[in-house]
Amino acid sequence: MPRQVLEDTLTADSIAADTALAASGDASAFERLYRTHVARVHTLVRRMLDADEVDDVTQDVFIRAWQKLATFRGESAFGTWLHRLAVNVVLARRKNVGIERGRFITEDAPLEKATGKRETPELSLDFEEALGQLPEGARQVFVLHDVEGYRHEEIARMLGIVPGTSKSQLHHARMALRRHLEQ
Amino acid sequence: MNDLWTNRLSEYIDGELDNTERAALEAHLATCGHCYATLADLRQVVARAKTLEDREPAKDLWAGIRAGLTPARSAVTGRPAVRPSGRRFSFSVPQLLAASIALVLLSGGSAWLALQSNPTATPTSSKGSAAPGTEIEINWTSGPDMAVAELQDALTRNESRLDTATVRSVRQALATIDRAIAEARIALESDPGNTYLNLHLADTMRRKVELLRRINALVAES
Repeated sequence: MPRQVLEDTLTADSIAADTALAASGDASAFERLYRTHVARVHTLVRRMLDADEVDDVTQDVFIRAWQKLATFRGESAFGTWLHRLAVNVVLARRKNVGIERGRFITEDAPLEKATGKRETPELSLDFEEALGQLPEGARQVFVLHDVEGYRHEEIARMLGIVPGTSKSQLHHARMALRRHLEQ
Repeated sequence: MNDLWTNRLSEYIDGELDNTERAALEAHLATCGHCYATLADLRQVVARAKTLEDREPAKDLWAGIRAGLTPARSAVTGRPAVRPSGRRFSFSVPQLLAASIALVLLSGGSAWLALQSNPTATPTSSKGSAAPGTEIEINWTSGPDMAVAELQDALTRNESRLDTATVRSVRQALATIDRAIAEARIALESDPGNTYLNLHLADTMRRKVELLRRINALVAES
């Protein structure tokens, strides 16, 4: 599909050029980068954190990206670099607010409470809503592993846990979410 | 119902069991309908996670971000890298290198287009343009380049033959190159003898000519 290839190439070229312009201090170029990437960043933050802080953290991600653009070496695509930065900002936020209690699942009961029953679809949550109601630790492991594609070893390093805990949280999250698969 | 193997199903899906454990679990699955059904559900969850879509924020967050954009620091010079409003723009060498890298990436698009286009296609005018790899001897600060102007005119005449989304993408790419050209020209006004800036501007112009020529060739073939 040549036209699609042309579209993709031009988009990638425009992002690369805007990244260079933004790194030189061009706020208009940075706004274009924001508009291209904000949905992905905002969605990542929304899935990882509570709703009341999503907009603030998303803004913080982009402000930090602007501050760090001079150190962007171009080894990866700008989107990849920004995404990793967003993950780091989210995890730093998690530490700063001191969310510790009840972060990880130790038994099935909290999941049963957090999620609806599959047998009553009219009252059940959709998949995204159910994901948002998982305990924070299970939610973050699920998002990082199944949605974002990180490995357990990476997740363990980022969250300060052992890989076995990451695997266990992932399984608990999947077991809870299977009740909310769309029929 | 929950048995020993139920808690290993995610590891099985992710390929994290060793050969012995995997064989034992598969033997169990052949006899346990509950685990078999749960495995199918978990596979659906994994597949569903990969199809979740991104959503725009409910409100535009740019104003708050723009207000927080303080001058960034150059990693090389330690000087503010942000362009202060109302002041003349100047490039640092690292910034120019970054811009050059971006434009080299742009040549990747041109390379693809070159593969798609007629290899015998030529620009409507060769004045002021240069074939890849040849020396550019014109003074790029002296005035508008006629080859670019003519190629842009040709594109304007022919762009009705492209679909709207492609036209928009082409215009966006050209606008980005034009900004780089304009900023290089401004930098040259204050340092007209700068060899690096002249070469950078010449290279940028050459790439614009190449891009326009290839797009026109593509349009001619469509």
